[in-house]
Amino acid sequence: MADALPPAERLLNLVIALVNTPGRMTKEQIRTSVAGYDRDGSTEAFERMFERDKETLRELGVPVTTVHGPAHGDDAGYRVDLDAYALPPMELSAAQLGVLGLAAEFWQDQVLRADAARGLTKLRAVGAEPAGTDAIMGLAPRLHAAGPALAPLLDAAHARQAVEFTYRAASTGEVLRRTVQPWRVVGSRGGWYLVGFDTGRGAPRVFRLSRIVSDVVAVGPPGAFTVPADLDAQAMIAARQEGEGLAWLAVAPERAGALRSRAVDPGDEALPADAPPPPPGHDVLAVPVGRTADLADEIVGYTDAVVVLAPPQLREAVVRRLREAVAAAERLGARRG
Amino acid sequence: MAERTPERLVRLLGLVAYLDRHPGVTIDEVAAHFQVSREQVLRDVDTLWVSGTPGYWPDDLIDFDADSFESGVLRLTQSRGMTRALRLGTREAVALVAALRALRESVGDLLDPAERDVLSSTLDVLVAATGDAAATMDVRLAVEASPEVVAAARRALRERRRLRIRYVNAEDHESERVVEPWQLLTGDERSYLQAWCLSAGGERLFRLDRILAAEVLDEAVSTRPGPARETTFTPSQEHERVVLELDSRARWVVEQLPVDEATDLPDGGLRVALRVASGAWLRHLLLRVAPYVRAVEPVSAMADAGEAARAALARYESPAQG
Repeated sequence: MADALPPAERLLNLVIALVNTPGRMTKEQIRTSVAGYDRDGSTEAFERMFERDKETLRELGVPVTTVHGPAHGDDAGYRVDLDAYALPPMELSAAQLGVLGLAAEFWQDQVLRADAARGLTKLRAVGAEPAGTDAIMGLAPRLHAAGPALAPLLDAAHARQAVEFTYRAASTGEVLRRTVQPWRVVGSRGGWYLVGFDTGRGAPRVFRLSRIVSDVVAVGPPGAFTVPADLDAQAMIAARQEGEGLAWLAVAPERAGALRSRAVDPGDEALPADAPPPPPGHDVLAVPVGRTADLADEIVGYTDAVVVLAPPQLREAVVRRLREAVAAAERLGARRG
Repeated sequence: MAERTPERLVRLLGLVAYLDRHPGVTIDEVAAHFQVSREQVLRDVDTLWVSGTPGYWPDDLIDFDADSFESGVLRLTQSRGMTRALRLGTREAVALVAALRALRESVGDLLDPAERDVLSSTLDVLVAATGDAAATMDVRLAVEASPEVVAAARRALRERRRLRIRYVNAEDHESERVVEPWQLLTGDERSYLQAWCLSAGGERLFRLDRILAAEVLDEAVSTRPGPARETTFTPSQEHERVVLELDSRARWVVEQLPVDEATDLPDGGLRVALRVASGAWLRHLLLRVAPYVRAVEPVSAMADAGEAARAALARYESPAQG
């Protein structure tokens, strides 16, 4: 029975038919001649199936083009142009395929993981035999899953099409609808960000993907904007995170080994004169600040084993966190168990 | 689980293009190359054998040399014009190129020159084939560790030798261990050394930035590397279950930690259940989210964190007393 063919096999026959057709195939020709379509079924059922199949093929990179007949009123026809279908001439060595295998393993995100794996399968077709093993031994890069917003944002960024979504602001928890021209998606330090132009605010903005609480919907036509040539998305994200200079820390003996390992030779710099004296018996370390928020978070974890001497902002950040913890314990009426 | 349609279709098309380039490869070689089972290759060949152009007479179908097939060799005799490899879709290109770029940016320096060349040339070939599709995404990995430690770990991995490390754990205890390195798990947030720890007699993940020193030993590695592990802590039933109610500003907890269960509350807050293996870890977490905590179960955990904070504050209020 022709219509019992699995979808992959029906699609394979459709691709082969559309590649080999001398001009174009009309829907009727497809329905009655391509294996897998039910020539005796209803027109509606065929239309639905064919539309879905066309969509699937386009998503997979098979360029199904619509060709109109010479005479007015002719049925539209379809074909696949091999030059648009094919990878440019290329070859991959076994070692290069090995590296690509590593790259495909990179994604924890389901959608991109599937995309990368499929891309790899396509590239294997132009690979040398035998398949390479670990080209870069002992490395296994991994990336946090970005969630459902990633794929539609990438599609819209590629099509240069605006998107709309509901966003929960970090500072207030307020939920608002945003319209954004997506410039670039950035994965960095455990977070996923969208950098783009917020049309409601008339300014570039950085959004965290995890705070997008609705589906991402493309709005308006493709090709609606251009990405600034001098865009430095990493810098826009880092601008909100980076600190610089040295932190001076008093560390209890034998404690905070991880911090100690990051201590640097302060060179000409000395502990600022206005800094409080270190507790007796403590070692004084100079550690690069990096992102203050993170360093403060890390130091808080050592509680009384690490005391910040300078800079004052870091000292205050740590003291504030400690006070907040004392307050939280009191607020919850917490007694030690 | 049945394979998804797109994956199977892409492989069927890829097989024809590959077999056209490599006449006379064995079924086993093809299975290894496409990383599927031998049975799957046989099923795929069966499908190709009955697929072709409308009419589906013998001359319309993709065909293989039957004698070769009997002896386990695949030789395409009719490809119905399908010998060219299918181009990459946009997201496929983005996913691969962004991953390769992130590798080059972040771990390029750790590679030996030959490996670096392979990585660069792969990226060049792919970018040439896909244009600027990948400009829409930019990914960075974090390898925040001492260069000496990373170099020693890489050398030990390459030469399959044991490594002596000095390690400080999340509870700030230092130990010296001899490990058999399996692989470096490079993440966007942290990187880890996955290894067999001879001192502990088990597989362990060591955070790279907590390895204080590493020395390559003469002894060869004797264990077989296991599969790469999730680098996030995998909770288990044995661990204590802690429930936190947080307001919306602490959403990162759900984003970054392996929560057992998370429930959104109507006002934007959330309730999360975590499995906690270490008291120090829980205390650190509570110190970081304190202002956003509305409830903790058991509440004694918050009391413990509050006590620790009070002790630390004393250092700031009268530092001279030590």
